[in-house]
Amino acid sequence: MEKIGQTSLAAMSGGLPPPRPVRWSLARKVSLALISILLFTLLVAGFFAYFKFESVYSSQVQSRYSFMVFTIKKRVEDSLNLGLSLRQLRQVQDILEHEKQRDAQVLAVEVYDHRGEVLFDTDRGAIGGKVSDALVEAARGNPSQAFGLADEDTLIVGLPLVNALGKVEGGVVLRYSAVYVEQGVGGLLLELAKAVGVYLAIFAVVALAGLYLLFGRVGRKLAGMEHALTEVLSVGGHAVPEAGGGEFEEHFAEFVDKTREAIDHIRDATDEVGRLDRLA
Amino acid sequence: MTLDRTRPLFVRLLLLAFLVLVPPVGLLSFGAMDEFARGLVPEMDKKAVTVGHDLAASIERAVGFGIPIASLQGMEDFFAPVLAANPEIRYLAVTDPSGAILFLSGAGREALEPYFSVADFGAAGAEHPKSIIGNFINLTQSLTVKGSDVGHLHVGIDHDYVRDRLLEITVDIGVVTLVSLLVAVEILLFVVAANVTGPMRVVGKVVDKVRRGDFTAICGGGSDDEVGRFVHRFNAAIRRADDLFRRLDAYIDEVRSAHFDKSVVERVADIDSRVRFLFRFSRTGQPEVVTERQATDIRLPLFLFVFAEEISRSFMPLYISSLYAPIEGLSREMVIAIPIAVFMLVIALASPSAALATARLGSRRVFLAGLIPAVIGFLMTALAHNVYDFILWRAVTATGYAVITMACQGYISQASQQQNRTQGLGVYVGAVLTASVCGTGIGGVLAERVGYRTTFVIAALLALVAGMLIYRLVAAAQPQGRDRAPRKRELLGLLRNWRFSALVLFAAIPSKIALTGFLFFLVPLALTQDRGIALGDVARMMMLYPVAVVLLSPLAARLADRTGWKAGLVAVGGVIGGAGMLLPMLAPGLEMIALAIVLLGLSHGLSASPQLAMIPDVCWIECRNMGQTNVLAFLRLAERVGSVAGPLLAAALIPLHGQEGAIVALGWLVLGMSVVFALLSFAYGSGPHIETELAE
Repeated sequence: MEKIGQTSLAAMSGGLPPPRPVRWSLARKVSLALISILLFTLLVAGFFAYFKFESVYSSQVQSRYSFMVFTIKKRVEDSLNLGLSLRQLRQVQDILEHEKQRDAQVLAVEVYDHRGEVLFDTDRGAIGGKVSDALVEAARGNPSQAFGLADEDTLIVGLPLVNALGKVEGGVVLRYSAVYVEQGVGGLLLELAKAVGVYLAIFAVVALAGLYLLFGRVGRKLAGMEHALTEVLSVGGHAVPEAGGGEFEEHFAEFVDKTREAIDHIRDATDEVGRLDRLA
Repeated sequence: MTLDRTRPLFVRLLLLAFLVLVPPVGLLSFGAMDEFARGLVPEMDKKAVTVGHDLAASIERAVGFGIPIASLQGMEDFFAPVLAANPEIRYLAVTDPSGAILFLSGAGREALEPYFSVADFGAAGAEHPKSIIGNFINLTQSLTVKGSDVGHLHVGIDHDYVRDRLLEITVDIGVVTLVSLLVAVEILLFVVAANVTGPMRVVGKVVDKVRRGDFTAICGGGSDDEVGRFVHRFNAAIRRADDLFRRLDAYIDEVRSAHFDKSVVERVADIDSRVRFLFRFSRTGQPEVVTERQATDIRLPLFLFVFAEEISRSFMPLYISSLYAPIEGLSREMVIAIPIAVFMLVIALASPSAALATARLGSRRVFLAGLIPAVIGFLMTALAHNVYDFILWRAVTATGYAVITMACQGYISQASQQQNRTQGLGVYVGAVLTASVCGTGIGGVLAERVGYRTTFVIAALLALVAGMLIYRLVAAAQPQGRDRAPRKRELLGLLRNWRFSALVLFAAIPSKIALTGFLFFLVPLALTQDRGIALGDVARMMMLYPVAVVLLSPLAARLADRTGWKAGLVAVGGVIGGAGMLLPMLAPGLEMIALAIVLLGLSHGLSASPQLAMIPDVCWIECRNMGQTNVLAFLRLAERVGSVAGPLLAAALIPLHGQEGAIVALGWLVLGMSVVFALLSFAYGSGPHIETELAE
């Protein structure tokens, strides 16, 4: 919006107080909102991607080890089916040690009876000890369903050992390093964190630029109207809406003119009352 | 760009939001998938090697006993449990040294034979040669007995397994992006309305007054942005004119009271009259501050609160199922259905009192009061030990829900008296539907990752954020002007209007039965218990419902306005919904349930707006006597009979027909009722009905 009818560009306030400073511009406010949403979106998307990967990866690792346990279970159960008791199966110790040697991530393989007493263990010092109640309980579950547990920094996968009559004789468990899984998924976490940082920075700049462009126009339009108001009230003339301005701008121009007209009229009236007052 | 209208600025902002949100999430997910594939493929190879090693050891042992490899018996039985337990392993095969297939399970010979017959497995030099055969990754393990090569064991991994897992991530991230965009829409809509278009609309009103010479008003609000500065300047101009007028007025009073020359007094009086004739100034000594309440003020808090409630939509029956303990005389399904029905019942019972409280205390106070039971309810639901305390805490949450939604409806209804009631209703429905899309979609994915209980804690936090927004942003004062509260007799008298009763009984109630019985109760149970589908997938399927409603509802509203065929649309909608639920009867399967959900969405999208739009025509007299808002509120209350009955009916049907059978049976019921309404709709006619008045 601009002013016509007067040539003076003197920056007079027209009796208006000085303009209020802009502390939080519109662009800044909306940027804050949009960048917060962007951050939230990237974090949630990264969170979901990471946890999906972590869940698929750890279940993949677990299923590999559960297959190893399944093989051990088969071999132990084949022997049980010959009528021997679990405690009598001396070759089991060799089987366990052989399986452990195949994979460096395997920390221990152990076989325990239905009371939880360790009968065979790759860590021979643990033989005769007790496994946790959770493992005893887990072995009482579905005989063909592998169970998984976590114990501090080790992950456990196991299967119940069942004799030919379907009685649970005990269980076989394999302990492997949780660090292995953490290392496997850690790379993705790092990559995701980096990507979130980089994309946040890049697209925050895009958001800022776009918003300053968008709200810059709003700000300029408002500043133009403000300027016209100040000019018309201080210097006089008429406000005319910008070419292509909408109904709002046209009405505002009328507002400015009407305000000026009112001020002028009241001033004239005041002058006239003064003149009449002085006549006496 | 027009400053006092939301749409132009908002559309530009939305485009920018799309540009800022979608590409980075796309790039992030692309990068994650790459990393995912790099991490997962070696692990799958390791597993294939482990499996191959163990199977090969068994085969070598058997061959070592002197059985020729081609004469081994029971190989299919030997392979079967391995294939069943490891879905990514698609086939297991044994070939002789020349590559002829001796045993094969899981794939067709024609796919592998051409490759095995020409491949030289020893030449590659690797311990476990890996090759790609069509859709399979083949890992080969030599079978060696006493130093001589007796054949090869082949483990075939599904090439699509990794791709399928990647697709799951993509879909999860897609849901996150959609939800973020919708949240961005809500927040930006709020920011634009609160900071730009709202204040500028008030400026527009004051401008209109001043253009007519009326200087009695200035704009309220005073933000510290460009709009605030403009409003400050704008008000200063009006105050300047007002100040000058006050000075003139005081001077004129002084002259009139003190001047001895009557002709001067008369001329001063003329000046006074002329000024007062040309311009109007406030009589209270200063201009009145104009503020405007908008329906959009409350949209964001409402959105967040409904989001919080909807977050548990996809897993509610599953959570109840996890707390299940037998209750004598009740089936498991009935025990699961009762908390859902109780929740709906409490909403129905609490809503009228909540509406009265809103009228007396104001929306803001009632909203904040409603937050107390809602947040306690969410938190305690997260800590529930058994079905009994679950029911109790869901009832508490329902009280909060009823209070808060009534407070929001009250606010919107009062705010839109100043604007447009239909627009106000659109704000409410829009916020609820968007929240429903977001809550249902993200809730399932979230529960899959962090569990049911944590998801309820997140719901409590969201509700608290909604409360904070209300506390900070919505003014405490209560706008005036409400419809008179009708008496119970008057409300029940509505049921004597056969058109209204038919609408409630054969359109509104069956649509709620379908919603709560089928969508809220049966879908999560049928999908997870019968088919073992992941929670995230259930949520995504359930999301189809609000998406269909969101897409169709505005079109149906426009169609109803243009054609006036409101009863017809309600009838068609009901029939589509009921017929959709019969689909599992034609072909049992996941796709049919998904299609039934979409059709239910289309059904409600078609019928919801026309159902409300019918009220002024069908209850012309009642709307005049009691107020349209009260008639609509009674319709909403009456249809809750269907919300309560839905899960209970579905639970009663499961023991008789199974889960899919229950869907079909419920479909017949809904379809039957909708057909009755369709037949009755021919007798509805069009335009306002005044028979009730004539009868009286």
